[in-house]
This record gives sequence, C-alpha cells and structure tokens, in this order.
Amino acid sequence: MSCHSPNNKSRSELKFKDTINIALAGNPNVGKSVIFNQLTGLSQTIGNWPGKTVERMEGQLEFLGYHFNIVDLPGIYSLSTFSLEEIVSREYVVSEEVDIIINVIDATNLERNLFFTFQLLELQVPMILAINQMDLLRKRNIDLDFKELEKIFKLPVLPVVAVHGTGVHQLLEEAIELVVYRHPHHHYNYRRRSSRESKHHGHHYYRVEHIHDKSKSKESMKKNFEFPELNQVKSFGKEVELKILNLIEKISEYQPFLSSHNYPSRFLAIKLLENDNEIIKIFETSEEGKSIVQLSKKYREELENLHGEDIHTIISLEIYSNIKKIIDLVLITKLKKSARKKTLIDFFDHLTTHSIFGYLVLIGILFGIYFFTFSIGDFFASLIDNTFIVWSNIIYAGFSENNVWVKIFWDGGVGGFFGAVGGVLVYVIPFFFVIEILQDSGYLPRAAFLMDRIMHSLGVHGKTIIPMILGFGCNVAACAGCRIMETEREKKISVALTSIVPCAATMTVVLGLVGRYLGFYWILILFMINLSVIFIVGRLLNKILPGQCTELIMEMHEYRVPNYKVIFKQTWVRSKEFIFKAMPIMLLLGIILEILLIFNALEPVNVILSPITVFWLGLPAITGVFLIYGILRKELTLVLLSILANSLNTSLLVLLTPVQMIVFSLVTMLYIPCFATIILIAKQTNWKYAAQISLLEIGLALLIGGVINFGFLIFTSF
Amino acid sequence: MSEESLTNKENQIKGTSLNKCLTECEKGEEVSVIRVNAGHNAKTRLANLGVVPGTKITKTKNAPFKGPIEIIVKGSSLVIGRGLASKIIVACKESCLN
Repeated sequence: MSCHSPNNKSRSELKFKDTINIALAGNPNVGKSVIFNQLTGLSQTIGNWPGKTVERMEGQLEFLGYHFNIVDLPGIYSLSTFSLEEIVSREYVVSEEVDIIINVIDATNLERNLFFTFQLLELQVPMILAINQMDLLRKRNIDLDFKELEKIFKLPVLPVVAVHGTGVHQLLEEAIELVVYRHPHHHYNYRRRSSRESKHHGHHYYRVEHIHDKSKSKESMKKNFEFPELNQVKSFGKEVELKILNLIEKISEYQPFLSSHNYPSRFLAIKLLENDNEIIKIFETSEEGKSIVQLSKKYREELENLHGEDIHTIISLEIYSNIKKIIDLVLITKLKKSARKKTLIDFFDHLTTHSIFGYLVLIGILFGIYFFTFSIGDFFASLIDNTFIVWSNIIYAGFSENNVWVKIFWDGGVGGFFGAVGGVLVYVIPFFFVIEILQDSGYLPRAAFLMDRIMHSLGVHGKTIIPMILGFGCNVAACAGCRIMETEREKKISVALTSIVPCAATMTVVLGLVGRYLGFYWILILFMINLSVIFIVGRLLNKILPGQCTELIMEMHEYRVPNYKVIFKQTWVRSKEFIFKAMPIMLLLGIILEILLIFNALEPVNVILSPITVFWLGLPAITGVFLIYGILRKELTLVLLSILANSLNTSLLVLLTPVQMIVFSLVTMLYIPCFATIILIAKQTNWKYAAQISLLEIGLALLIGGVINFGFLIFTSF
Repeated sequence: MSEESLTNKENQIKGTSLNKCLTECEKGEEVSVIRVNAGHNAKTRLANLGVVPGTKITKTKNAPFKGPIEIIVKGSSLVIGRGLASKIIVACKESCLN
C-alpha cells in the first residue's frame, strides 16, 4: 500500500524551511474540514495512518513566509481508547511531528466541545482554540467573552466563521506567534491586536517585519515551550485530585520511563486511573511501572466505591463541572432567549425521521442516488467508449491487426485505461459528489436512526446503513465510506454487507438482461434474493467475528445547507485518491488480461470453468471468460454477451434461455465484488479479509445459482 | 400532552421520585439522569458525550419499530440505540424537585 507516511518527510529538511506543523482537532462536524479546506485548498492528500485503517487528511500552504503542514485529525469526542481514531489522534498529537494544535470548537455546543478541549489540554501541546459558528451563536442572541476565555485558558482563543473564511488565517498568525515568537518563559498575556477585531483578509500586519528574523529558531523554541499552568481550571475535586497528584509524583520519580514517551505525567496519571489499556501497556514493561499500575488500580477501586460510579463517569463529571464554571463566566446572553421558532429545518427533520414518510424519503433518496449516478455516469461512459472505438479504428488502420505489441499496448493498456475511466471513474465521481452532499447536509444520520433496529439483526448498528445506501451507487466509494464505523468488527461487517449491495453497474446487467427480456417482477425477485444474501452474510459474520454488536450512539446534527466549496473539494480529493491508487492496478490487470487473451490462455479458462458454468450453473461455456472480465467491471458481463450475440447475428434471447438469464444476472450480482471494491475492502481491513469475503461471495453466488438452475430443471422435468 | 401531565401528576401525588428507564419517557419529556447501567464501553462513550448522572436531558424522538431514541443533551441531539437507552435510568424533573 502506498500510504502517505507522515514520518518520511525528513525532519532535517523541515528545519530549514521553517515549517509549522499543525494538527486540527475537534469533535465531529464542528467545521474542522471547512477550516481545513479554507486553508489548504486543493493541495490535500488522503492517506492512511501508518499501519492503521484510519484515514489521514493532510494539506500544505505557504503563509507569511512560513510553510504550514496541516493534518486534519479524525473528529472525535475524547482521547480514550474507544476507537482507533482516538488512539491515532492522541499518539500523533504528542509526537514530535506536531508543533501546535488548533482545537476547533462549535460555539453552539460549547459544553460538549470543551470536554474534548480539556482532554487536549492535558497533552500540554501548544494550542489555539478556534471557536467556530460564532455567527450562529450570535443569531441566538448569545455571545462569548473572548477576553475571559483567554484569561482562563492562557492560550489564544479566536472567533471563527469557517464557512465564510472569517478568522481562519488569523489562526495561522497566532500559530506563528505561539510557536516561533513566544518567549518560552512568558505566559500568554492577553493582548489585543487590531488585526483580529477587523476581520479583514489582508495579511499586512506588523508582524511581517519579523518574518526574516530567523535568529529565533522554531526548534529551540518549541522545546522550551512552557505550557501555561492551568491547575486552577483543570483540577478535579479533592478526592480525585489528591490521587492524581500522588500518581503524578510516582510517575515523575520513575525517570527512565519518562524519557521514552511524550505524554505528560498528569495525562498518564489520569489515564492510569481510567484503566486505559494502551497506557497501562507502556507501564507494564517494568516492575516499577507495574507497581504504579497497581497503585492506580487501588485508587480507582477506592474512588468507585466512594462514588458508587465507574471511574469514567466520575472523571467526566469532574470535567463537566469544571466546564460549567467556565461557561458561567464566558457566556453572555444579550436578551432573554426566545423560544425557538419552528423552521423549515425542523420540518425536514420531522419529515425524514417520521415513521412512514421517513422511510419513503429514504427510498426516494436511494432511487435518487441511483438515478443521478447512473444517468450522469452513463452519459460520459458512452461518450468515452465511442471515443475509444473511433480511435481504435484509426490505430488498427495503421497497424496490422495481429501486431501483438499494439494489442497489448492499445487494447490492454489504453483500453484498460478507457475501461477504468469510462466504466468506473465516470460513475465514481458523480457518486462521490452525491455522497458529499448527503454527508454535508446532515441527512445520513437520519437514515441510521430509522434503520438501527433492522441493522441490529445483522450484527451492526444503524450507522452501517450509511455506507450501504452509498453502495447502491457505487460499491467502491461506499466501501471507502465504511471508515465511519467505530470498531474493527463493525468495519469488517460493514464492508462485507456494502460490497453485496447491487451497485449501478450491476443494475445495468440486471435491467439490461432480466428487466428487458423477462420483466419487472423478475427484477424484484432478484432483488429479494440479493437482500436475503445480505441478511445471511450479516448473520454469518455476526456469528463468526469475535466481539459483540455495539449499541448506536451517534450525534444527530441539524440540517444545514451544504457548503459547495467543501463538496467540490472533497469530491475532487476523493476522486484523486481513486485515480492514483485504484486505477493503476486496474490498468495492470487490463494488460494482463489482454496478454492472456492473445495467447488464447482464456480458452482453457472456459474449459476449466465449464464444470461450474456449464454443469452447475447451466450457462454456455463462453460465459466463463465473461465472468472473469466482470471482476474488472461488472457490466462487462452484459457488454461482452451482447457483443457475442451481435457477432453471431442473433439476439440474447436465442443465446440464453430465461433461466440462464436469471442465473447469469444473479451470479453477476453476487459472485464477487469488482476489483476496485476488493482493493478498498483490503484498504479498510486487510487483504486476507478481502480474499475471504470474495471467496464467501463466490461460494454463495454459486450455491444460489446452482440451486436455481437445478430447481428449474427438476421443476420442468415434472 | 395530556398523558404526560397525567404521569407527572401521578408522580406528584405519590410524592416519590419515580425512576424509570429512558425508553419509558414520553416524547418531549425533560428528565435528569440518575444512573447508566451499561457496559464499560458504552458508559464511557456516553459520559464523554455528556450523559452522566445529574445531567438534564430531553427526549425528543422515538424511532419507529422500537428503534433508537433521540435525546437533547447539553444542546446537542444524540441518538441512542434502544437497548442502551433502556439501561439509562432517569427521574422526571418534577419528582426531582420534590
């Protein structure tokens, strides 16, 4: 996997360029990605965190003479070990790679957002608080006292309206200030600059003159950075605090250990108390560490007995009570809060979660996705296919038809390229576009809300419906969407289920064959079979995979008008990922297939496959090769079949019996995810699992196809 | 609405704090969390999201077919699977005041 590895950009190189590495952190849906997009534009890359299946978004920009490298961390609520995202985030934030955190906070949801801020504070990394959606808050006649906030946190706190780009670049100025120019032993004094108040976008500030003053190297400053002392704000109630102080003391005595990691001792103490597996693992490497773990265990039990609550609840309560104090200080309610008026947004919310209309809307959206992806994709697909045919004729006019190299290069390489563009990419791009709209508007959690109950019988909670809905357009993109699942187990079940959902390409086969020649009811029957396969696979994986089905806990955001900038950029970034990661493999495969075809190596394939295709499924022998091609592009099975019929001057009706049509369509629907999907399953999980899922689906497809074939045989023989 | 006020009346008459699970609440009822009897992971997750004892929450939606429920907690709306919701013990506001 050509992961984008963050570590490899050699540190020495960075020193010279004066790079500032920023980590954007915050809850999900607080406008982090909007800020990220505003800052980095199109210079983004999506990769995976090394060795993890968590997505890593990274972007660059130049600003005020500095090079900024910004990593958009996954949206999380806490720094515990609930999900991989949380572990990845906290390990990254304390690593050498991060100079400063920008914590994006949703002003309309201050209390919950500050909970995460408090966790970040414990990591003692230079930090800026960016309070987003201030416009919305002010609309509600509420304001925040930023002076007071900076006084409390002793860190820069800035108002931002990300969707308009207001205040976004000030964050970077503040970052320069904090990382480069801040005197190490000088606490952040509250200073107000005119630049912040006047929210203009120009960048001519008094600080420009400092830019070439590189006498203060960033590196030395960062090491000396003294995180503000926030005991006043952070300390817990007496019982808990005393235990934490004791643990800190023990940890600090344990010198050899301290040098080997980056976590501050207070963070470690809290996490030990919280029974955090990852942290305990670090400690349990030595006897001394083990004794600290034992002590923390004793403390935990004492606290739990005292409060009659588990430790997480106790600590969360402490943090929330600290937050409450802050909120009381900074929240300015200008007028009496008026009762919220019923708005259009509420109406949509009501409609889409309604027990009848909600499902109708859901079905409508499914058809919508399918229709949109299909109609746009189809238009460009035929355009591209025709171009290829025209060019092919020109090429072959110039060369002999039997020139092997031309065949390999043109039919295999170029043909493979056109196949990938015309067959997959044109569907994938409009599809990513719809996904982004659905995601950004906030609809998808509503679908999860409606479907939770049903999905539970498949061993996953309602969220899985999100990638599955997407699967109706394109399995490839949808499998990439499975990253939203929290646990490894849910991810595994979700990708498997998603890969069986009939995508737009599969639908062309079903519609073009069964729909056209046998009628609508047969399509319905095929769909029912497909749905039951999804059900069976879900039940099966639920049984096989270790662990238990977790309950749905999901934030349901208000609807909002999608931000077109974000949508276009995200569509492009995702398409780019597909173009550069999945397409090269497809090209290679096209060339290999062409070579096999030239040497007639596929004829034996038909023969080898004939026990399955001819005997078991009752299909013509030639379909063996078609099905192989179908792995590359599912609709190729039908395309090749039509070409064959044309060359024989017959119609498909002569070529295939109705039963064969049904079996052929069904097998195409189920037998294996397309190659690009397999690649993405592997990316989300691992290659072994991708292979297992493919085999499972082949098995199921053959089983069902065979049963139908023999069922009809027996039925008709009576 | 009438049903809701009836229950509240009943509670007041009884004069006891009537604990019940979140699933039993009426739509639109404001309650305060007494206890979360869930497993370790779910409990941590809920605590992170602000569902801790003492928090006031409002139940806003019931998904059809005994699906999940939606609550408002600390200004944000949260969807919780029904199985988990039934493990969240709450007391209605009136009875808390008494």
